[in-house]
Amino acid sequence: MGVNMSEDLKKQIVDLFHEKSKGDKKMFYIRDVTRWLPDADRHAVQDAVKVLLDEEVLKYWSTGSSTYLVLAEFFPKEEGSCS
Amino acid sequence: MTDVKTPLLDELEKGKWPSFVKDMKQAAKKSPMAEDLLCQLELSYKDKIGHWKHGGIVGVKGYGAGVIGRYSDRPDLFPNVQAFHTMRVNHPTGWFYKTDALRNLCDVWDKHGSGLTNMHGATGDVILLGTKTEHLQSCFDDLSAVGFDLGGSGSALRTPSACVGPGRCEWACVDSLDVCYNLTMHYQDKMHRPMFPYKFKIKVSACANDCVASIARSDFSVIGTWKGDIQIDQKEVLAYAVSAINIQKEVCDLCPTKCMEWNGKELKIYNEDCTRCMHCINLMPKALRPGKERGATILVGGKAPIVQGALLSWVIVPFIKLEPPYTELKDLIDRIQDWWDEHGKSRERLGELITRLGMRVFLRAVGLPAVPQMVKAPRTNPYVFFWPEEIQKEVK
Repeated sequence: MGVNMSEDLKKQIVDLFHEKSKGDKKMFYIRDVTRWLPDADRHAVQDAVKVLLDEEVLKYWSTGSSTYLVLAEFFPKEEGSCS
Repeated sequence: MTDVKTPLLDELEKGKWPSFVKDMKQAAKKSPMAEDLLCQLELSYKDKIGHWKHGGIVGVKGYGAGVIGRYSDRPDLFPNVQAFHTMRVNHPTGWFYKTDALRNLCDVWDKHGSGLTNMHGATGDVILLGTKTEHLQSCFDDLSAVGFDLGGSGSALRTPSACVGPGRCEWACVDSLDVCYNLTMHYQDKMHRPMFPYKFKIKVSACANDCVASIARSDFSVIGTWKGDIQIDQKEVLAYAVSAINIQKEVCDLCPTKCMEWNGKELKIYNEDCTRCMHCINLMPKALRPGKERGATILVGGKAPIVQGALLSWVIVPFIKLEPPYTELKDLIDRIQDWWDEHGKSRERLGELITRLGMRVFLRAVGLPAVPQMVKAPRTNPYVFFWPEEIQKEVK
């Protein structure tokens, strides 16, 4: 059951990333992701994001001081650019 | 190194101070990356603009921190620094290295990077400056093989750091090295997998001299202190009086709380007024020593000015015993980070969040009582810590 719930949450997160990435903005803070799911447990969302990072569905993008999350397909090809 | 002309950078070699330009020129003799770096920097001075594109890849498998992507915006002119990523390497606690460890580290960096280092960055890590994307994983693997790991970067727990503590210092009230190492190992996931609103820094000083400047530079400061009376050896006090120190002028008059009296023969300390600043102990180490019951003060909220202005840390626990495995300390850190993680805005540090929501809200959230030591400045209103119903209860 826990696994199914986690899978559901992961799917929700990926769907939200796709929806929110329709515009120019492709990179989001983890804080944005937890806000998209106000009814979900924050720690569960973070854990699901970590799994999605392991699965390389999401990728980290970092300025060195702040870290963003981005769908792997939108990871900038133009190195060093940030939307 | 070809015959590169850098007239603007050459100016920085003049004067009596060590120059990073000199170091870069030395590195450029054997490293094309260092040579292009030098030339790009010269261009930056000429154009009065930085020629780096910041951010990007964090490309070591399983890690979301420790690599900071940097790219040249003039790869046409400087192809060897087209990618010039920084790697942050977790330093040994207290910065104690054996020479073979340093040699191994430099060998790895000569193999994979520019050979240029910054020993050490503000957080404390070894900063390895300049490697290419294709070297990131292999460099990490080689660093691991010689016993090093990446440190924190981005919105993560940054590499905890500590003063040399009991390793070299007679004034250490806590084992800062062990506390720091223990926390570093305990919080590996929070360092390497950024999930916070912004950076979070932990620094451990073994006494109030605060040699790692934890009070000014960390969100969570652990500063060694003591309970009870300062230990006095009156014979040694007299010896100082005879030999080198004007005790009245240099010790008593400069005591911030004026808790000491000197009659020319005996030093008296009113310990109940002492704030344990270490000033007198620093001046007369043979005569005075910290009290026997040792522990630490916990402070939160320090930061340098980036998004908002600088803040000094604020006392939240006046005294805590620190003994392995530091369960109480870790529980407190977890509660604080969880509250900040829940309520902090993106790029808002802990101190800024406390300032925005109030110390009263913070204390209730992390389950700490308001105590007099939390009053940040004398004569400020202490009732900011109390909820209206608590004050009403007291009034009745």
